[in-house]
Amino acid sequence: MRRRSRGVPERRLAWFMTAPSILLIALVAVWPIIYAIWLSMHEYSLVSAGLSRWASPIGLGNYIDAFGDAEFRDAAVVTLIFTVASVALETVIGLAMAMTMAMAFKGQGVLRTVVLVPWAVLTVVTAIMWRSMFDSNLGFVNTLLGTNTVWLGTEPQALLVMILADVWKTAPFMALLLLAGLQVIPGEIYEAAKVDGASAWQRFKKITLPLLMPALLVALIFRTLDALRIFDLPKVLTNGANGTTSLSLLAQRTFQENRLYGEGAAISILTFLLVMAVSFAYIRLVGGNIRGMTEDR
Amino acid sequence: MSKRFLFMLCAVLACAAFVGACGSDDDEGGGGGGDAATEETGVTEGAKVIDPASMDGATGDVTFCLGKDTSGDKTAAIKRFNESQSEIKADMLEFSTSADEQRTQFVQRQEAQSGECDVFYADVIWTAEFASQKWIFDMTPYTQEREGDLIPATLETVNYDGKTWGMPQQTDAGFLYYRTDQVDEPPATWQETYEVAAQNDGIVYQGAPYEGLTCNYLELAYAAGGEILSEDGKESVIDSPENVAALQLMVDGVKDGTAANGVTTYMEEESRRYFESGRATFMRNWPYAYSLGQKKGTKVSGKFQVAPFPEFEGAGKAAILGGHNLVISQFSENPGGALALVDFLTSEEEQVIMFRDYSLAPTIAAAYDDASVQKEFDFAPELKESVGQARSRPVSPLYPQVSQAIYKNVNEALAGKVSPEEALKTAQTEMQSALETF
Repeated sequence: MRRRSRGVPERRLAWFMTAPSILLIALVAVWPIIYAIWLSMHEYSLVSAGLSRWASPIGLGNYIDAFGDAEFRDAAVVTLIFTVASVALETVIGLAMAMTMAMAFKGQGVLRTVVLVPWAVLTVVTAIMWRSMFDSNLGFVNTLLGTNTVWLGTEPQALLVMILADVWKTAPFMALLLLAGLQVIPGEIYEAAKVDGASAWQRFKKITLPLLMPALLVALIFRTLDALRIFDLPKVLTNGANGTTSLSLLAQRTFQENRLYGEGAAISILTFLLVMAVSFAYIRLVGGNIRGMTEDR
Repeated sequence: MSKRFLFMLCAVLACAAFVGACGSDDDEGGGGGGDAATEETGVTEGAKVIDPASMDGATGDVTFCLGKDTSGDKTAAIKRFNESQSEIKADMLEFSTSADEQRTQFVQRQEAQSGECDVFYADVIWTAEFASQKWIFDMTPYTQEREGDLIPATLETVNYDGKTWGMPQQTDAGFLYYRTDQVDEPPATWQETYEVAAQNDGIVYQGAPYEGLTCNYLELAYAAGGEILSEDGKESVIDSPENVAALQLMVDGVKDGTAANGVTTYMEEESRRYFESGRATFMRNWPYAYSLGQKKGTKVSGKFQVAPFPEFEGAGKAAILGGHNLVISQFSENPGGALALVDFLTSEEEQVIMFRDYSLAPTIAAAYDDASVQKEFDFAPELKESVGQARSRPVSPLYPQVSQAIYKNVNEALAGKVSPEEALKTAQTEMQSALETF
């Protein structure tokens, strides 16, 4: 039994004072999710307005349809391939950039600013830029490589361009997060290691990586969640053609263009569940205690 | 559970919550307006009918809802309307520049049964959808009186279920652009176009899988005599020899290199830039590219002209209509005033001003013959001819899915992934299953 302490009336007051905000958040953030779940369990389409009946069987009809739909499966595969490839590349390149920037040299400040430019460019603008670059007739990539490929018009190449565009844009973001993590590592550890005769690779593997883990994991979680939900890049780059339709793009198309709210909601909820599953996987990997990881060592 | 874990979990949930929250509505798409579904099906039983006499003696306020008036022509027109009489006061409610957003804004008001928008500037492909939902007035008595003034093709876009549901106000039809330094006169048939293109620098058009490809393909398919939907709009008939022939012509053009490399990824802007860089003999595009191409600095300035689309050998001519119709909301509290505004905006004087000063194609036939217009636009006669031979895209409240079935499969055939026959078979199946859900 809780011992009555002086803090209890204060706690009650705290609850009363935060109640309005919590209510507002519940209304604005939680209600749409509940509504989306409700929608996903009905056959509700704006075409036959007002029609809403339970999607048989037991409300799971839309989900079963989604799994049976080749478009949905393809979108899931594309999203996963995109996520794995772009996050892996971003991390490696971002880490390399961060380690370069961590070294003190002339022009360091300028470099750090310049490096951020791709991240600052709007994704839509990035997509249009890359689309122009890879235009098979007027873009410079074909001229440079001496090829005639219709990059955005053929199946694996379009996804490749999409991955490259995303890596170009977000590697600086990773670099910055990792740079912050690198700067927390005390220099003395490296000095001590050098004295002990550790090689550069050993220093990287045994000191940098483990101590960077917290920042690395935070960056990974951010980027993985973002990549799983990618929408604006494929929409502007190819409108989802030639194997670049992501789950979010498919959901938007089902909602907006086809006005099949029930099915669109089901795709959204499935994307949501996928993202949640990945997040939980990350947290399990870390054991729930990121800070603790460094303290243990 | 440690506090830190809880915090991480909440942070993660908050991020992921936005994914779920994005499951809210955002509508889009539209119904087609046009040839099929002029047959009565009784879907619109009970819709309110407009009374032309209500125009006389109407007073009060009228709100005109439309997308952002970037060219300024509607703002000026409303001003002139208010100055020309004192009984009715009109004002504008501008929505976003995005067509989808405009449709969403109007649809939301209709679903809430709000009469806030008395008149709406609707894209031609939305009319059937609005009519099927009984959101707009049956305007048949009024349009019957004005039929003689309009270019007949534009009336197709407001036909649904045997009645007419709006007044065409602005239209748009594509052109075949051709290089005058390479070709003496525009070709007489599509087949000849491709032959001449093969001997010169080729043809460029919009082949990316989007709405524009539907227009490009239908221009050939309709010319070849093919249809997309049955008379009642409930069945897909796209898999026909005429449609296959039209698609075959396009596919052959891509295969032998007559069509620009990469045309399967091109939309209006890309094809315009390609033509402007001097690399193509022919281009299919909307009228807007004309003045842009003639500007000093492009490689084709002064070296090209436009023509209405040629005939498909052994069949006919066609074009696809774009543009906007004026529709009156069923929930409007001043339908008489709304009709007066519609009448004003589609009067010959207003249409001439719209064409001459803002280069927007009118729906009133007489506006094309006006002397001041012809002085301003040397392609006015070609535009009138193009609009005259134009047809509307398939009429259906499920137009977005019909269009998707067309452009996805046509694009696959153009890219060489499937044969034209297979592509149209798949298109028919996909369209049919979508139509069956209605």
